[in-house]
Amino acid sequence: MGIGSGSIYFGGESVSNPTGDQPRDAETSETQPAKPRILIVDDEKLIADTCAEILQQAGFHAQTAYDGWVALEIAAEFQPDYLLTDVLMPRMNGVELAIAVSKMWPATRILLFSGQAGISQTLLQGHEQGYEFELVAKPVHPIKLIERLQKQQS
Amino acid sequence: MNQRTDKSKKGETDDLGDYSRYLLAAIINSSDDVIISKNLDGIITTWNDAARRVFGYTADEIVGQSILRLIPRELHYEEFEILAKIRAGERIDHYETVRVRKSGEKFPISITISPVRDATGKVIGASKIARDVSERRPFDDSRFRLAAIVDSADDAIISKDLNGIIKTWNQGAYQMFGYTSKEMVGQPLLRLIPEELHYEEVEILRKLRAGERIDHYETTRLRKNGDPVEVSVTISPIRNNEGRVIGASKIARDISDRKHMEKMLIQSEKLAATGRMAAAIAHEVNNPLESLMNLIYLARLNCTASPKAQSYLLTAEGELERVSHIARQTLGYYRDTGSPSEVYLHGLVENVLTVYQSKLIAGGISVESSFNDLRKISVSQGEMLQIFSNVIANAIDAMKEGGRLSISLRATMALDGDGIQITIRDDGTGISQENLGQIFEPFFTTKGNLGTGIGLWVTKQLVERRGGQIAITSSTEYGKSGTTVTIYIPFANPQRSRLSRTEQSISSS
Repeated sequence: MGIGSGSIYFGGESVSNPTGDQPRDAETSETQPAKPRILIVDDEKLIADTCAEILQQAGFHAQTAYDGWVALEIAAEFQPDYLLTDVLMPRMNGVELAIAVSKMWPATRILLFSGQAGISQTLLQGHEQGYEFELVAKPVHPIKLIERLQKQQS
Repeated sequence: MNQRTDKSKKGETDDLGDYSRYLLAAIINSSDDVIISKNLDGIITTWNDAARRVFGYTADEIVGQSILRLIPRELHYEEFEILAKIRAGERIDHYETVRVRKSGEKFPISITISPVRDATGKVIGASKIARDVSERRPFDDSRFRLAAIVDSADDAIISKDLNGIIKTWNQGAYQMFGYTSKEMVGQPLLRLIPEELHYEEVEILRKLRAGERIDHYETTRLRKNGDPVEVSVTISPIRNNEGRVIGASKIARDISDRKHMEKMLIQSEKLAATGRMAAAIAHEVNNPLESLMNLIYLARLNCTASPKAQSYLLTAEGELERVSHIARQTLGYYRDTGSPSEVYLHGLVENVLTVYQSKLIAGGISVESSFNDLRKISVSQGEMLQIFSNVIANAIDAMKEGGRLSISLRATMALDGDGIQITIRDDGTGISQENLGQIFEPFFTTKGNLGTGIGLWVTKQLVERRGGQIAITSSTEYGKSGTTVTIYIPFANPQRSRLSRTEQSISSS
């Protein structure tokens, strides 16, 4: 269904995909230049994919990554307006990713989401470096998630 | 005894008076005690052999002399008092004082002085029986010292005989158990032991008879008012001069405070373990829930086929939302770390009431509300919702047979600033007095398997973290039973950084 639109990139797992990014960017900017771009990162593929599709339908231009490092690579090309990322992920956690992204593209609005309460240590990591990120608890209803992102927009 | 029998035999003869006089003289002279007499002027009239040994004067030297020679100069006044009493016919018993020997050495002495009367009953002098107690004194001193220590000890120190009858009872025992020594000496020790522990005393006495000592035995005893007190007891056998066990000394220490600390520690351990487990489970449950929620939402959005299927999906979504709510509440004590927002508290209360509406209707509970909170207040909505839903859920649980739930909100003024007072009252079964003290403790529940014992504990933490207060009054009295929960939230938000807010996640500790 929604996947057919072609603007969701499901191949985020590997870094060796930059060729796939270029034409799609061009394509979307042609058709809908006003669409806000969002990068969704979660090591649970299903969550990342479904969130992407929901946000896509809500008028975002969504991309996914299933790993923090890959997400950084993609972000370099994609230059998202939004970053929605899980917190507890292997290799690079969501806070580390968020810090890196906000250093490189300070305009990017960042929302963390997590299914685990015991992440305050991780959040602290950001705080120590002077970063405060908004956080929503999983599970979050899609409509609420969209509202949260829209609120950030204003 | 023999002498008296002799005396009565001889009493039949004429020289009875002489005989008894000789006998008396013999007794007096062979006595180990000092026996002397004096007239009312204080002049010594007789002097026995023991007096010679103790004071060092012979009878020749001292008879006819003033008794003041035996009294240290600084104590001369005593003699005038003694003579005054004797003249009045009074007797002085075991008077402990100091006297002086011929050598000038002063020594402690115990004296009994009785008036001597003539045939007409007139007091003509005094007899004095005295004992040199310089030998006994050091021993006595240590005994007094021991007694003083025993009495000033905070521990209860009790002695009993082998039948378990209390022989001594110190001040510490009074403070610990509430009985005075008068009440307890002569009583069986069993009075202090809860009935179900009576067997302990049997075992203790058995061990004592065998000469064994019992060290730091932790058990429970009863105060006079029936309250239990947790004690650590050390019991040692008391032996007589022959080494035979004749009783036991018992030192009991109140360890209620320590026990309480231990309990708290165990509780916080439990809590930490639960927190860790909750966090682990939360991760496993919340992620699939997130996926499910997304999938169903997408299915509903993209299913154009049948309106029936649409409505099924919508219901499924609603149910999922319910599961998610429970997961958030119980598994992670997850708190929304978004910044506080300005809201009307009554709006949040109404939210909660809507959630519980079906339960309220099914339970035959009517709701009465009066909202007078005219000002918005800055709170974390998630936290406030949790507070209200915990309290209202408890109220519903307390009204199994229906009832009335009344909720009022009003702005109040307090010394440290204005705020909003929320009163939630039910006319349910009420909370018993003994439980009332524990309701804010974690894992305390009266709901059996249905309760986690976390609700009110979390509620209190949330309220206090917001700078507010929560109080609960309750009655179980028939016809008037019910519980009132009063929550006060000040308008002023206590300073807290985002950091401390994120630290609030309880399970992280």
